[in-house]
Amino acid sequence: MILVPAEVAWLCFLFPFAGALLSPVLARIHPRLRDYGALFFSFLAALCSVMFIPYLFHLEKLPLEVAFVWLTVPIELNVGVLVDPLSIVMANVVAVISFIIMVYSLGYMKGDQCLTRWWMWMNLFIGSMLLLVLSNNLLFLFIGWKMVGLCSWGLIGFYYKDERKYWIGGPPPTKYTTPSHCGLKAMVVTSMGDVLMLGGILIMYAYAGTLNILELYATSAVWIPEMAKSSGLILLMIVMLLAGPIGKSAQFPLHEWLPEAMAGPGPVSALIHAATMVKSGVYMVARLLPIFYYGYWVSGCIEASYFFILIAWVGAITAFIAATQGMVALELKKALAFSTVSQIGYMMLALGVAGLTFSSLEGGFTSGIFHLFNHALFKACLFLCAGSVIHTAHSIYMNDMGAIKKFMPFTWVFMLIASLSLMGVPPFPGFWSKDAILASTLATNNYPLFALALVTVVITAFYTTRFFGMTFHGMESKNIEKLKKKGAHLTEVHRTMVIACGALAIIIIICGLFGLPLEHFFGHGFGHTLAELNLPFEHARHSMPHLLVPLLSVLSVVTGVVPAYLLYFSGKIDPAGIVEKHASMKILHRFLWNRWYIDSFYYMFFVGGTTRLYTLVPRYIEKPLDNFFHKLIPSIPGRLVNLVKYIQTESGTISFNLLYILLFYIFVLLVILWVVLR
Amino acid sequence: MIPYILLQTLVLPIIASIFIFLTRYKTGRKAGFIAGATLIYTTALLCVVGIRVYQGEIIHEEYLSFPIVNLNLLADGLSIAVALIMNLCCVVLAFYSIHYVGHRVDVIYGKLDEKTWLMYYTRFFVLFPFFATGFIGIAFSTNLIAMYFFMELLTIIPLYFIMAQFGYSDFIERYKVALMCLFWGIAGATVFLIGILLAYTHTGSFEIASLSTLAGNPVAIWVILFMLIGLFSKLAIFPLHIWMPWVHAEHPTCIAGLLAVYANIAAYVMVRVLILPLYDDFKVFCIPIMVLALITMIYGSLLAMAQNDVKRFAACSTISQISYSVFGLGALTIWSIEGGLFFFLAHIMGKAILFSTAGILVYVTGVRDMREMGGLASRMPITAVLWTMGAMSLSGLPPFSTFPAEWAMFTGIFMFGIHGPSIVLIIAVIGVVAVGLTIAYTFWSVKRIFFGPLNPNLLNNPGIRDPPVLMWLPVLILAVISIIIGLYPKPIFDLFHLVIGLL
Repeated sequence: MILVPAEVAWLCFLFPFAGALLSPVLARIHPRLRDYGALFFSFLAALCSVMFIPYLFHLEKLPLEVAFVWLTVPIELNVGVLVDPLSIVMANVVAVISFIIMVYSLGYMKGDQCLTRWWMWMNLFIGSMLLLVLSNNLLFLFIGWKMVGLCSWGLIGFYYKDERKYWIGGPPPTKYTTPSHCGLKAMVVTSMGDVLMLGGILIMYAYAGTLNILELYATSAVWIPEMAKSSGLILLMIVMLLAGPIGKSAQFPLHEWLPEAMAGPGPVSALIHAATMVKSGVYMVARLLPIFYYGYWVSGCIEASYFFILIAWVGAITAFIAATQGMVALELKKALAFSTVSQIGYMMLALGVAGLTFSSLEGGFTSGIFHLFNHALFKACLFLCAGSVIHTAHSIYMNDMGAIKKFMPFTWVFMLIASLSLMGVPPFPGFWSKDAILASTLATNNYPLFALALVTVVITAFYTTRFFGMTFHGMESKNIEKLKKKGAHLTEVHRTMVIACGALAIIIIICGLFGLPLEHFFGHGFGHTLAELNLPFEHARHSMPHLLVPLLSVLSVVTGVVPAYLLYFSGKIDPAGIVEKHASMKILHRFLWNRWYIDSFYYMFFVGGTTRLYTLVPRYIEKPLDNFFHKLIPSIPGRLVNLVKYIQTESGTISFNLLYILLFYIFVLLVILWVVLR
Repeated sequence: MIPYILLQTLVLPIIASIFIFLTRYKTGRKAGFIAGATLIYTTALLCVVGIRVYQGEIIHEEYLSFPIVNLNLLADGLSIAVALIMNLCCVVLAFYSIHYVGHRVDVIYGKLDEKTWLMYYTRFFVLFPFFATGFIGIAFSTNLIAMYFFMELLTIIPLYFIMAQFGYSDFIERYKVALMCLFWGIAGATVFLIGILLAYTHTGSFEIASLSTLAGNPVAIWVILFMLIGLFSKLAIFPLHIWMPWVHAEHPTCIAGLLAVYANIAAYVMVRVLILPLYDDFKVFCIPIMVLALITMIYGSLLAMAQNDVKRFAACSTISQISYSVFGLGALTIWSIEGGLFFFLAHIMGKAILFSTAGILVYVTGVRDMREMGGLASRMPITAVLWTMGAMSLSGLPPFSTFPAEWAMFTGIFMFGIHGPSIVLIIAVIGVVAVGLTIAYTFWSVKRIFFGPLNPNLLNNPGIRDPPVLMWLPVLILAVISIIIGLYPKPIFDLFHLVIGLL
């Protein structure tokens, strides 16, 4: 098997960057050249990434690093690419799915007036994301990290004119949100996490003296114990470091931006807010994991264990909260967004439990990344199908859809495959990875975490059945009837969109059929990497998993599917009626519909607080200061002049004459004293 | 070998100024090109100097040696990097001003006959080159009095006169703000001068190099204190920032970008005059400086959020951004000093972009209130891109040069926090969080000005479109330069390290 040189990894992100720069030039020649040119550059990125897959069969040749000197002073920094199993898997997930979504975009964005801007942002995003996952050091990883955030801002707010048809939220009395507002919200919330993460990286650098990932691993035996001498410092660093992934991957408590990010065009939701960018937090946690594992299990620093405890709990809580919100969402893309948040929670949980016991490292790590891989596939497919459905139904709300199956049979099949995978129905890929996560969690004997994860499986099955049923089954909505009357073309969308969804569905089926071998393949690769880092752990046994977990998993799926089927497929029970009938259900529905009131609290506390603060500052600080410097001080000479005039004019009065005499004699006395004492 | 290379960079702008003045009716509308071409030439000279310094040479030229005052010029790694970027900003804004000043003359003086119009128009370009001379003079001076002289030169000639004659608002308000600028400039420089004189009483020399003989002497603390107060008023550190919103907002926008340079250059003076010669004595001021800078960072951000006036918004952002440099310098580590100085250069480029774009907005729409804008991206896409680039630069986003600057600066600050008093670590953490505030207000401004539906008041205005190419192209070039430096900051860091690395 031919192995490409590591230098090719540079091309993975340089090609899309070149595509972004060339788009305006190509647009001047011919619009089609621009479109296919952009696609071609993303294809080249995918091709370069795929060329590294053979390395996964030659693990002994990994890791590879190619770097050049970026800085020598004040810090010596060689920047470059790192090719190891994790970066190969991530690069392929990013590049291949990106290419498929770019193909989909050809149809989805057809006729848009701002296509040059579209292709520029998309290729810039792909390049930045690949830079993030292939970088050999934390600084350039952070550059990629910030740039994907910027692209996310630009693409969420792609419809920056905020036309009514692009608003999300509602229906009244729930407020609507404009795309530009959603973009800003995503930018601000994730940036707060980013800057804290930068602080965490800098604290790490202060002790490790390097930002190179492999060097950080290699020297952790030295710097972690050194850092542990300052009580609380490792914990501070962990909290700051995790703030970035929590923000970027929309985990509790920084998860509130992702549902609004759905204001972007469908391919953006699929690419950035489902398949790739939101996974960068998971990638970052996986990258940092060996450092803290070493710190805890080898160096014996108790504080290092908080890395795992924190991320495991954050993941489990997020998975649960977001899943419950997904149960009541009315917008199709928002339901999928809640699902994304929830599923990433699973990944975080897996990586968290990886460090909780000596024997769960390989299992936790593998299941987390395996779920990332699977989720990227099925969620991208779900979002692309959702984009197609919204395109046809001319509405973002699921209750404006219904019985769409007959109009869009292909999309129905593709979305069914992806939905079954999301629920965790065997043998679809979601089943294998979710099962592995549950097994890893159970292996740590942390039953509260396991229970939370299992309950979330039930809820996942419920909301998946719900959105699928509401969209494709049940009765035709009034909106659909209206569209039919108008003679709207209710049919499958542009062929490139169908092809892209179909391609993803086929890959999902293949990955599902080979789920177990694939999981073992991943496990072997990551196990090898972790062993190369001299991390002490027990290798996972690659045999059929214990039956208890899959059994519980399948039972949970059934528990979630049955009520949802009765409510949203068969039409025998009216869900709205149940909510109206029972006060407790009404309260619960309102609570979930308002997203646990977390978003409202953030708006009230952070946005309202900052607004209040910046209105108070000019009034109570700036204005008085301005008066002091620009009115009071300049008035002093005038006041002095007035005083002198007053003294002059009043010098005829006896009291002033006496005062002058007194002052004169005090002066004389002081002179005498000075002379004498001298 | 180019003779008198440093002197040329200092004097040629004045010669250009005199030439424009003497031939003002002949050169007329070409005055801007003459000023710009001269500055391009001096920038080229500075590039040559930069290459020589990069190769290890230190260029020292001696002129006008009086007993205690001289005009010796020194180009080392520190001064050349600073001088080059400042001059670059002058070049960009000279070309940008060509259209802008004509517009200002029309707005302020109304209909004029050709000769009077040309008189006003060329007057701007007579005054403008003094910026370059002042900046280069401060950067290259080896003598404290010469440095003081150039500081005052900047305050009086270009700032006061340009503000008074080409500023915004009505005649009285313009002169009032010009006077305010003058008073603050003189007051700051005077307190700085007190520090100089105090140092002189102990060293017997006005040479910057001789300040190091004060090291360890108790008077050094007083010298540093006086000079710091003087510099803080230039740097607009809270509560001495109060002039900045007025002056920045009312100056013609084509030089408002240079006002950021005028203010921020005090960071360079701080390093050259205080930190390098009196490093150990300066340590006493570390934490107070960092605290003040932190307060200013947050205060300036909140103030910026409160603004509706697009120019005042940029002015308040300058207050916040300049204090980043000071924050870095306060930490007194090699990383933070180099990062702080780099941030100064990156910020002036970013601010020149932002202010110039603000000028474009005012030029095109005729309004300054952001509430009366909105939705402009659809009609002014290039302007929207420029403003976004400015926002990115201020927010320290890659690939702009502010990113490596902030990163190096915060590396040094955290280093100090980890290995120094624990309070510094808290300050450092709050400092990085303050960066988040910058991102919030800059990107909010993008939304307010450019996104959403087009403001109904502007809907029927056919003039709402991108400005002439001569206005946006220089700004775009500056943005590209900032990106190039951001992607490959090694030359700047290498140059700085030649001097700062000796600490």
